[in-house]
Amino acid sequence: MFSVNTVIGQPGSFAKERLDESHEYKWPEGGLQYIPDWVYTSPEIYQREIRRIFHGPTWNFVALEAEIPNPGDFKRSYVGPTPVVVTRDSDGAVRVFENRCAHRGAEFCRTQRGNVKEFVCPYHQWSYDLQGNLQGVPFKRGVKGEGGGMPKDFRNEDHGLLKLDVSTLHGVVFASFSKDVEPIEQYLGPRILKDFEVVFKERRLRILGYYRNELPGNWKLYHENLKDPYHATLLHSFLVTFGLMVAGSKNGMIADATGRHGTLASAKPEDVAAAVGAVKGEMRAYREDFKLADGRFLQYVREFDSPWSVTMQTIWPNLIVQRELNTLGIRHIVPNGPHSMIMLWTMFGYETDDEEMVRHRLRQGNLMGPSGFLGLEDNEAIKFVQEGVRRSPSDRGVVKLGGDTQGSTNAVIDEAAIRGMYAYYRRTMGL
Amino acid sequence: MGWHEVAGADALRDGEAIGVTVDGHPIALCRSGGELHALHNMCTHQFALLSDGYVEDGCIECPLHQGRFDLRTGAPLCAPVTEPVRIYAVKTEDGKVYVELGD
Repeated sequence: MFSVNTVIGQPGSFAKERLDESHEYKWPEGGLQYIPDWVYTSPEIYQREIRRIFHGPTWNFVALEAEIPNPGDFKRSYVGPTPVVVTRDSDGAVRVFENRCAHRGAEFCRTQRGNVKEFVCPYHQWSYDLQGNLQGVPFKRGVKGEGGGMPKDFRNEDHGLLKLDVSTLHGVVFASFSKDVEPIEQYLGPRILKDFEVVFKERRLRILGYYRNELPGNWKLYHENLKDPYHATLLHSFLVTFGLMVAGSKNGMIADATGRHGTLASAKPEDVAAAVGAVKGEMRAYREDFKLADGRFLQYVREFDSPWSVTMQTIWPNLIVQRELNTLGIRHIVPNGPHSMIMLWTMFGYETDDEEMVRHRLRQGNLMGPSGFLGLEDNEAIKFVQEGVRRSPSDRGVVKLGGDTQGSTNAVIDEAAIRGMYAYYRRTMGL
Repeated sequence: MGWHEVAGADALRDGEAIGVTVDGHPIALCRSGGELHALHNMCTHQFALLSDGYVEDGCIECPLHQGRFDLRTGAPLCAPVTEPVRIYAVKTEDGKVYVELGD
């Protein structure tokens, strides 16, 4: 496993990780048609991203309400790299607070999910209620006869957990460290909201399961990959071979007005065989002799009021909403230093699904996930990019497809959405 | 079962609690406003001895998370305690304190 060992190797092993503090982060000439490698490799840029993006005025995905239906239900989650706890309090409200004891900073909640009446830090047993308020301090008044304890002016109200702002939209829970973020519908914008609502509005979700994997690449590469329709038929031989997406099928890359969010959409050709036949000569990856052993795998049950059979939404900064035929899921990006991210996958269906539909969704779920027929290729490609940019003296990538346009595009061979995202990124980051 | 001698009547000043063991049962004996009270000594929230806590205003406050119980009824008075603590009958005779274990 040479490549895995090298990329997860000690930070600081390679030249681009040892930029001195006086390094000037100057975007290359040529504007948005180039991306400097340091956005993927620099520890200082990573720190600025945490401060300005993940802890800044953004809405970060933290949970689905279906994961915490009852009072006392909780889930461990993350805003950027920062651990948080998501709970439903006794009044039924969703609360999000830091998973960091107000006393000595311990990440007190150690269980992925469950139901509790209160949270107790294992270190000194400080206890917190479901809203994150400090409830009890052991031996607050010292030990009788021996003194000690907190000063008389210690007030529990001043020492609760740090609480985040919370927004829920159609059963999806977002949190923010910032008070300066617009309401969630505005934050998403109408174009993104539309396809988001196709999946969530007036739907009761049924959680089907979880995956979790480390992806040895910079977190932004995941956004770029889903703002890059160009790679779909070139990297994913599965898509072409089995007719899910061909260069001639109907596609769309939809970006919001800011450029930060995106929806990569495609419509499955009605007649798969004809569509594949038309382009197979052009596709290096196409293999005529490959047949799926189980034809049910790619069946598409039409269940959505949408012209698209696939929408992959990138919601800045940490959420992917996957609707690929009938397999539905959330991908939650947890940045883990410049060279790594943790990907938390939550697969779901709807409460109205019968057993057959659940089986179908689970079967089709093999498209995605850490080792999915499509998912694993994205993971590998992102790792390859990180390995390349991290170790080479060359210092920039090229995103010139489609010229210098930004944002939405109907063309597949186009990088306008990547440019749009970096236009927004540069404003946010002051670069 | 029955009445058990647990302490001398002068063993507790007002506002004080001590832990005693009666027939294997841990009991907190307290004096508040001149009156004696006996409660099961284990907090109903987590593992802590109420006799290490504070007797004030007819209540006992657990030292661990500041949950309070009514000394007369054992009723929980504030978060995080939600379950009542068991109480026992107490009497003083001939300068000695007795606690009744009951059933």
